[in-house]
Amino acid sequence: MDLSIVSFVQIIVSVLLVIALMVANAVVMVYIERKMAGFIQRRPGPYEVGPYGTIQAVCDSMKLLAKQVFVPGNVDWLLYFLAPVTAFLPVLLLYLPIPFGPYLTAMNVDDGILLILAFAGLGVVSNLLAGWASNNKYGVLGAARAVSQSVAYEIPMIMALLSVVFLTGSLNLTEIVDSQGSWPWQWNIFAQPFAFFIYLVSLIGETNRAPFDLPEAESELTAGFHTEYSGMGFALFFLSEYANMLLVSFVCATFFLGGWKGPFLDGFWWTFIKAYAIMVFMVWIRWTFPRVRFDQLLNINWKWLLPLSILNLWLTAAILKILSKIY
Amino acid sequence: MNQIIETILGFLKSPLNALDESLSQSLPDQSYAALAAFAFYCLVVLAGGLTAVLSRNLVRAMMGLILTFLGVAGFYLLLACPFLAFMQLLIYVGAVCVLVFFAVMLTKNSAVGQEQNLPSLSHIILGFLAGLAPLAILTPMIIKHAPNYQITPEPTKTSLLGRGLLSSDVVPFELISIILLVAMAGAVFLVWRKKPDKKPN
Repeated sequence: MDLSIVSFVQIIVSVLLVIALMVANAVVMVYIERKMAGFIQRRPGPYEVGPYGTIQAVCDSMKLLAKQVFVPGNVDWLLYFLAPVTAFLPVLLLYLPIPFGPYLTAMNVDDGILLILAFAGLGVVSNLLAGWASNNKYGVLGAARAVSQSVAYEIPMIMALLSVVFLTGSLNLTEIVDSQGSWPWQWNIFAQPFAFFIYLVSLIGETNRAPFDLPEAESELTAGFHTEYSGMGFALFFLSEYANMLLVSFVCATFFLGGWKGPFLDGFWWTFIKAYAIMVFMVWIRWTFPRVRFDQLLNINWKWLLPLSILNLWLTAAILKILSKIY
Repeated sequence: MNQIIETILGFLKSPLNALDESLSQSLPDQSYAALAAFAFYCLVVLAGGLTAVLSRNLVRAMMGLILTFLGVAGFYLLLACPFLAFMQLLIYVGAVCVLVFFAVMLTKNSAVGQEQNLPSLSHIILGFLAGLAPLAILTPMIIKHAPNYQITPEPTKTSLLGRGLLSSDVVPFELISIILLVAMAGAVFLVWRKKPDKKPN
């Protein structure tokens, strides 16, 4: 990649835009999540502050900003403060290779999906650090769960993405969008329905959302790895959790749902519509399914998702080979 | 539609392009930037390595190791092989470090563990010599075979890398896969414990 002022300014502007997107996304998603939870549980949800309670999330984030940062005794202070930062910083990089629209790609990286997977690994490290550094038994238990879960669910997720990479022959997200058409039957979801299903299940596991939210299961672990965090420390974890949710939704939209291509008029709006449809799906799942047990969670992954994804990958490779021999 | 967007983008970028041209005339080339980045990554790797060796806390040492891996990934990026850099992060930070961390967490969680005590002087000297051994092998090679001019590295496409691994270099590639498979099977075999017969309630 050439080093020029244009690309430099482009990266800085896009990182600033990504930060704005992260904050706006967290505020909007909290409102949507609480309203949907209320709807599903037959109660109104937030309705007091502003019309239909729309300002509630803004007020909550103001309160979070003004909150005292409380450090418990006997913590490893360096690691305690490093953990939220390592959760937040890599997320900024993760959005760089995503093609939001035909002209809205921050950095056209050749190995885009590898960049995302590589820096997403730092998120696990931050969970571990938080659980370890806060000198709390709930924290350590939550961190141990977070690790065994993300290490497990990363594998079928990569396998599902890999089968799409097999189809396209490229790790570049822009090229993957280019290889798909505007109409739904030209998207990769029709060529790879199993991969889509596996990815959908493992993205809920990877982002620690209910019914797979064992690392922060409040009924048994208080809040898991972020039990001891308050104020801005908690806010950073919270922001990066929602940003990770949005990121896996964007990757899903890019890989399986045609990215910015859609019926009638291509453009960045299709990426956002698709990604937010997946976000709403995740919220819907969260409030309608009970939490699974931890051994069930790992059994779903190792005994079902992993063999299925290997089989899917093998079938994709075999069919591609046969087709390339015929044509 | 697309033409309109392209003209707007071109208009937005034109002052930046002009600035870029004037700067590239005043600066000799990009090698200074590369040199600065190299120095930065050197500092990162050294700081990470020193943290990993000198800190008395295993988890802090782990963080130093992660910092070193990040710096090495930066070196790979400077050598124009992003694939290696991302693989370095994916495997060493995302898997190896996390698993070592996990092992630390599952074993003794005590602030006054073995790692708190300094090893004896003879151990330190032996460890230092062991660390110097690869340097003693590598330094003559590097000095003997050093290229006498700087080459600007050309990035290789990942698809070319894959083709090379599965055609001309397929034997070492498969051998490494077999070694990894044997290691994995061995690990499973070592921790395999036959379940005790369940008694009916």
